[in-house]
Amino acid sequence: MYAIETKGLVKKYKTKTAVKGIDLTVGEGELFALLGVNGAGKTTTIRMLACLSTPSEGEGFVEGHSILTDKTAVKAMIGISPQDTAVAEKLTVRENLAFIADVYGLDKTKAKARVDEMISMFGLGEYENTRAKTLSGGWKRKLSIAMALLPEPRVLFLDEPTLGLDVLARRELWRAIKKLKGKMTIILTTHYMEEAEELSDRIAIMIDGSFAAVGTLAEIERKAGVTGLENAFVAIAEGGRE
Amino acid sequence: MKRALAFTGRNIKELMRDPLSYIFCLGFPMIMLVIMSVINESIPPESGMTLFQIGKLCGGILIFGQTFIMLFTALTVSQDRSGSFLVRMYATPMVSADFVAGYTLPLLIIALAQGLMTVAASFVISLISGGEFSIPGALLATAASIPSALMFTGFGILFGTLFNEKAAPGLCSIIISLGSFLGSVFFDAEGTGGVMLTICKIFPFFYCTKCARAAIALDLSAENFLIPLAIVSAWAVVLTGLAALAFGSRMKADLS
Repeated sequence: MYAIETKGLVKKYKTKTAVKGIDLTVGEGELFALLGVNGAGKTTTIRMLACLSTPSEGEGFVEGHSILTDKTAVKAMIGISPQDTAVAEKLTVRENLAFIADVYGLDKTKAKARVDEMISMFGLGEYENTRAKTLSGGWKRKLSIAMALLPEPRVLFLDEPTLGLDVLARRELWRAIKKLKGKMTIILTTHYMEEAEELSDRIAIMIDGSFAAVGTLAEIERKAGVTGLENAFVAIAEGGRE
Repeated sequence: MKRALAFTGRNIKELMRDPLSYIFCLGFPMIMLVIMSVINESIPPESGMTLFQIGKLCGGILIFGQTFIMLFTALTVSQDRSGSFLVRMYATPMVSADFVAGYTLPLLIIALAQGLMTVAASFVISLISGGEFSIPGALLATAASIPSALMFTGFGILFGTLFNEKAAPGLCSIIISLGSFLGSVFFDAEGTGGVMLTICKIFPFFYCTKCARAAIALDLSAENFLIPLAIVSAWAVVLTGLAALAFGSRMKADLS
């Protein structure tokens, strides 16, 4: 069984088709990057997989559960860190994490253990009693990912996790994401080539709602006939789809 | 229910940490109570105007204060909707009913606290001005105003769900004005009579105030207390139902 499987997934809006029939399989424990420019359909794809948007056509499965007919089961095993840092601004770091533990119904002992673990994992100890609204962008993003991780999801969706962060904050977040590799399946959207290159096991290049190429970095380079992900991306984008 | 309580906890903390909630939900009703009491002192007894005497004024301010709870509910819901916070929450196992209960419960608690503070302030004013004031009656009025608090919270969730954070407070201002005028908070609708009274009786606000004032006077008659309470309770059920429907529809649309 794949962690993620889609068959002809389509998302149509009134005047635009944002995702045009994608077929995708992601294995357990894989870190899979959806790479593309703004408006390529990356966020729409993970919104459908996270049951935040209903596909217009096609079907998708998360850990074997249908995103159309078994949303409750899907929601119970995923975590998502949206593009904008979705935290409760007037709650402290610890309170934000404890709130998520309560929402997922963790008992008090387990909740405290998980909150402590997340604070330790992301180095949030210094800020645990600081209100979220006063945190810098990088720390907010770490908190957002920690909130997504707290209920121990089997699949984690990270939507543009380092968007708008400075280079140091980005590198620090990369280190945190690398620590998660292999422990769960991670779907990451990004438009930063170096991010996809640095973090992912496999990459899907999304152009205009479709997959133009899917594979490891080496496979994509081979297909494009050039070295480096940026060169490969440009060659594929300019040369048409797979 | 656990998820609704978790969301309630988050909302209570967010509200308690917002200085505006103290200014609007607690400060403003207190200021109005003091100002109207000062005005009352200037009204000659021979005029026969009793609307601003502390026994009646307390009932009016109890309801007037709740209109600001509505404003605050609308702001909370519309602000949550404008950011990504609800997107994250939509991806959890929370359902529409959890959200509506989670927004309603904290505002009801704040409404009760507001009511008790209004009663306490009214008692102090009654000691200073020597006006007639029944503490058991005022406490009964606070309890009897729970349906109206529910009704105003329903209005707030409805506006916060249907409109954005800029439009929702504006619409709430209209209800605040309508509530204070048509609710007979700052003028005597029954004394005025005629078309004005007929108009007042169309809206629920009149019955909210009437019920609260009757409770303070320990007048538990059907005409002054029970029937107005039943009417307000019916409005509360309808508004809460409409708010739940609207939030559920919006959530469904957001997830489509």
